[in-house]
Amino acid sequence: MAKVQVLNVAVLDNPSPFGNPFQFEITFECMEDLPEDLEWKIIYVGSAESEEYDQVLDSVLVGPVPAGRHMFVFQADAPNTGLIPESDAVGVTVVLITCTYRGQEFIRIGYYVNNEYTDPELRENPPVKPNYTQLQRNILASNPRVTRFHINWEATMDKMEDSENVDPAPNTMLPPTSMPSKAQPLGLMPDNSMDCL
Amino acid sequence: MKLLKPSWVNHNGKPIFSVDIHPDGTKFATGGQGEDSGKVVIWNMAPVLREEDEKNENIPKLLCQMDNHLACVNCVRWSNNGLYLASGGDDKLVMVWKRAAFIGPSTVFGSSSKLANVEQWRCVMILRNHTGDVMDVAWSPHDVWLASCSVDNTIVIWNARKFPEIVMTLKGHTGLVKGLTWDPVGKYIASQADDHSLKVWRTMDWQMETNITKPFSECGGTTHVLRLSWSPDGQYLVSAHAMNNSGPTAQIIERDGWKTNMDFVGHRKAVTVVKFNPKIFKKKQKNGSTPKPSCPYCCCAVGSKDRSLSVWLTSLKRPLVVIHDLFDKSIMDITWTLNGLGLLVCSMDGTVAFLDFSQDELGDPLNEEEKNAIHQNIYGKSLAITMESHLSSTIIENPEMLKYQQERQGNQNPNGAQGSGPENQTPKLTNVLNGESLEDIRKNLLKKQVETRTADGRRRITPLCIAQLDTGDFSPALFNSVPILPGSSASTQLTPQISSDSSTANSLGLRPSHDPTTTSPNKTAEENKDSGPAAVNSIGMKSNLLLTSASKMEPMKALDSRFTERSKATPGVTSVPLTIGITPLDRVKDSSSVKEPKVKDETSSDSEDKIMAKPLSMAKRKGEMEGAEVVEKRKKGRPRKDAKMMMPISQPFPQTPVSAEKEPSRLITPVAVLKLPTPSIQKSFSTQVSTDAIAYLEVENEVSVVSGARLSQLKWSRDGREWDTLLTSRITIATGSSDIVAVACEDRTLSVFTTCGRRLIPSIMLPAPLAALHCSGHFVMVLMASATLSVWDVQKQTALVKNESLNPILSGTDATVSQSFLTQQGVAVVSLSNGKTYCFNSSLETWNLIADKQDSLVQCADFRNCLTSQDALGSMGPLALTQGRNLSAGRLASRLSSTPHHLQQGMTLAFLENQLSSALMLLSASEYRHWLLIYARFLVNEGYEMRLRELCQDLLGPVHKSSSSSWEPTVLGLRKRDLLTEVLPVIGQNLRFQRLFTEYQDQLELLRLK
Repeated sequence: MAKVQVLNVAVLDNPSPFGNPFQFEITFECMEDLPEDLEWKIIYVGSAESEEYDQVLDSVLVGPVPAGRHMFVFQADAPNTGLIPESDAVGVTVVLITCTYRGQEFIRIGYYVNNEYTDPELRENPPVKPNYTQLQRNILASNPRVTRFHINWEATMDKMEDSENVDPAPNTMLPPTSMPSKAQPLGLMPDNSMDCL
Repeated sequence: MKLLKPSWVNHNGKPIFSVDIHPDGTKFATGGQGEDSGKVVIWNMAPVLREEDEKNENIPKLLCQMDNHLACVNCVRWSNNGLYLASGGDDKLVMVWKRAAFIGPSTVFGSSSKLANVEQWRCVMILRNHTGDVMDVAWSPHDVWLASCSVDNTIVIWNARKFPEIVMTLKGHTGLVKGLTWDPVGKYIASQADDHSLKVWRTMDWQMETNITKPFSECGGTTHVLRLSWSPDGQYLVSAHAMNNSGPTAQIIERDGWKTNMDFVGHRKAVTVVKFNPKIFKKKQKNGSTPKPSCPYCCCAVGSKDRSLSVWLTSLKRPLVVIHDLFDKSIMDITWTLNGLGLLVCSMDGTVAFLDFSQDELGDPLNEEEKNAIHQNIYGKSLAITMESHLSSTIIENPEMLKYQQERQGNQNPNGAQGSGPENQTPKLTNVLNGESLEDIRKNLLKKQVETRTADGRRRITPLCIAQLDTGDFSPALFNSVPILPGSSASTQLTPQISSDSSTANSLGLRPSHDPTTTSPNKTAEENKDSGPAAVNSIGMKSNLLLTSASKMEPMKALDSRFTERSKATPGVTSVPLTIGITPLDRVKDSSSVKEPKVKDETSSDSEDKIMAKPLSMAKRKGEMEGAEVVEKRKKGRPRKDAKMMMPISQPFPQTPVSAEKEPSRLITPVAVLKLPTPSIQKSFSTQVSTDAIAYLEVENEVSVVSGARLSQLKWSRDGREWDTLLTSRITIATGSSDIVAVACEDRTLSVFTTCGRRLIPSIMLPAPLAALHCSGHFVMVLMASATLSVWDVQKQTALVKNESLNPILSGTDATVSQSFLTQQGVAVVSLSNGKTYCFNSSLETWNLIADKQDSLVQCADFRNCLTSQDALGSMGPLALTQGRNLSAGRLASRLSSTPHHLQQGMTLAFLENQLSSALMLLSASEYRHWLLIYARFLVNEGYEMRLRELCQDLLGPVHKSSSSSWEPTVLGLRKRDLLTEVLPVIGQNLRFQRLFTEYQDQLELLRLK
């Protein structure tokens, strides 16, 4: 189980003009003292079509993290408008907050962001070249999409121990050539099939 | 009977694999599949029980949901005290949850359901050891252990008082283990697996008691779970899927002889789950009818893959009720309310059903006292310790006792023997906000938070700690606070009983394959209060609809997929080590169940004894050979063998010459005058002064010859300081203590020096050559070849023992002296080769038997449950030395499992009393205290009031001074009243002895005031 649980993310300064920095107040709880820092990132998705337009707005280290409940505000500058495809400037896009520990991402929080002109005139007839000064950014704060990933919270040596400690029995169904690292996902198969019963 | 399917209990349509009602009946937990993880949900029971609560929107239905399990949750189980919830899942983990007193309701961040968590349950422990999916978990009676079983074919017994310590891994199944159940008496745990077997394991030594295969030989491994169950009286074990005449059954296994003569038949597909009602019932007395002596009976629910549920009373041949088509898929788990009238069933189809019975249908549940009485009949146990469930009905009679009980509860709370009021016991998040409100902090957080730059120029924020987690959730509570452990303290809360064997046998009127097509006599109409599935989904739907206009939906879909992209990819990456919490088995010390190593110890010490014996006989033979002419030839012919034979003999000699090195040729049969062997004279030797690791004695005989006299040198060294002295005769033995050094010479003189080398007394002329010499403190003990013993106190210059013969202990046996030593208090101890150890008491002038390795009492006494964790480490002292470290309580008791309880009780009592008096005889104060406390705990546990009173009286002594009283205020230097102060809390644990407790507590208080 993850040692760090994100309890809440409050979106501050929302809605706000497009050029305002992003502000997220993040509350998280840690089960035990973490020897290393957490790394948080804010990623602005410039275009839904391709990851190449993703901008990492900022990354920040958070630490030291003793066991307990903590909060901090993560502020990052607005995206570089020059990197956003003009066709995608207005409309719905996404901002992602990710957190990694020892280089492994264990949580990804996504918010829909709606960029709209506040002026009804502009809304009706949007300019071909987006007018960023008139755009309002509205983060759909009430509906975060959270994806959690299972990562290795311990130092890397545990990984080896793990493969050593795997009881040979569950793997007997595998061809002898298969590597222990491959064994685990395969080993899960019979259980999954059991679910169908 | 009422039937309800609360539609709001669901995992959004995902299967529910397990359900369990909290012991206090206010909530229940479900476990199963979540969105992309395993899911545990805690629900409010009230809306299930009462329609008005279901309609009342102010009453929450969902209390908490936890999606921390990475894969499907197969089992959820509340601890018996209700403080913990254990869950096991396909992620190979067992998680233990505890209620946390958080700042209020909160949601699971980002969960699609916007329902707030009314209660906060936090994972306090992750138990990692299984290498495959965890299929079932079970708390032992009194929550001493938590067992989990897995598709890795093992069962792991966790020490529930010291998570994540593993008590034992039970190996033996050759297939996926899919169900577990504890014997309510705590003596066994049973498991059922896909390997066509049901195994019963002893909790005494964790070995297999029996392996039942016959009813399962035809079974295929087609069920997801095999949840078996033990009847509340402990007399019957009912398996999940078994086959009889190629029909699916639930096999009934009798505790007595593990006979498999009966089964529950009628289900058309494999039985997945069996669950006994926790109550025992008796027939409801009808008004006016003559009260007949009716036999108590049990009630059992059986769920099957055929989607139907049957409920049986053991007094009826047919099921009480069979409900078909309750679910769309297989039944996965069943749980009863503690009052025995309600039943929750969950299914793979993701729904649960609630059955509500009336007492008219099931009968009158027996109360605790009736159960206890029956219990005593069956298992012969006195339920001396009133368990918590009983406490409520026992009146605490005085404030002192009340105070004591409250203190005790306070101490226990981290471990929680008391199930009530979990709110008060949950770990607090220590608030560290210094009185500022959270709102104030949040306003200024951005400005206030500490932000630095790392060496490589990156931003680093120090997060503001708003609450510290209270540690010590699992601080091991007072081990002896709850008397537990099987075998001796059988307990009340979960162990109801049936009056007698014969009556139950009659009442369980089920015959093998009696009626293959059991019909449902009481097929009941479903009172389905299902309000329709629409409401269920609405929540999930809403969140999507929140998104603005339809035209914008297109890009969002693409984005959506990007959210999930990662999660799809991860299964391959999930091979993350899960092995952190593994504790090596040898750390299990106080679990008192580490049988095997101890047994090994035992045998090795035995073999040592044998080795000791062998050289003797060889030496004897050698002596004979030397006498004969053949010797030379032999030596030439087989020199090597001879050399080998020499080895064991010569080896011990450089050591302190203890009596093990004997000149066997002088061993004479007991008919003649007893003679002990004397050590031979060596040219030089050195010894370590036993009590002091860094002090050495070196002896060099015949260093020089001065005017015809041969001088021998004795050299003492310690920390670089050293002295030497010369003696006129060859030294045979030299030994020393922290205070003195004693040497015996060939000319039968004994010289005693201080540790600075000053001669304390002129040479003592011994009546016979010396066999063994020991020093301890200011005491010198000599064992002479004439088999006589003397002990002197050289400081006071008095004789404690004068030429006392060993005749009384040696005559009539072939035994020889194998070991002798002197305690710090100057008590001479002699061990014989027959395993008996004696000490000589100078005031009684008798030899007293203090230890006997062959003593059956030692082997059968079982007082493990009276040991505290400190005690378990054993006591240090002369008694422990003679009896050996491996004196493990009840070592053989398991082999003699047929020993009736009262017999073992008696043996244990006798053993403990022996120990106590032996410690007294050896003047070993620390051991006396050690055994006294164990003795007191045993008396309390087993309810020996008279002995307890006598013990207290002796410790207290006369309250009013009188000259005629011969009462000694101290024993072995320990103040008796201090001992009583230690013993009283032990007595206070049992409310049954509250008057005794109060009586002595008051008197002690009175004396203290004087």
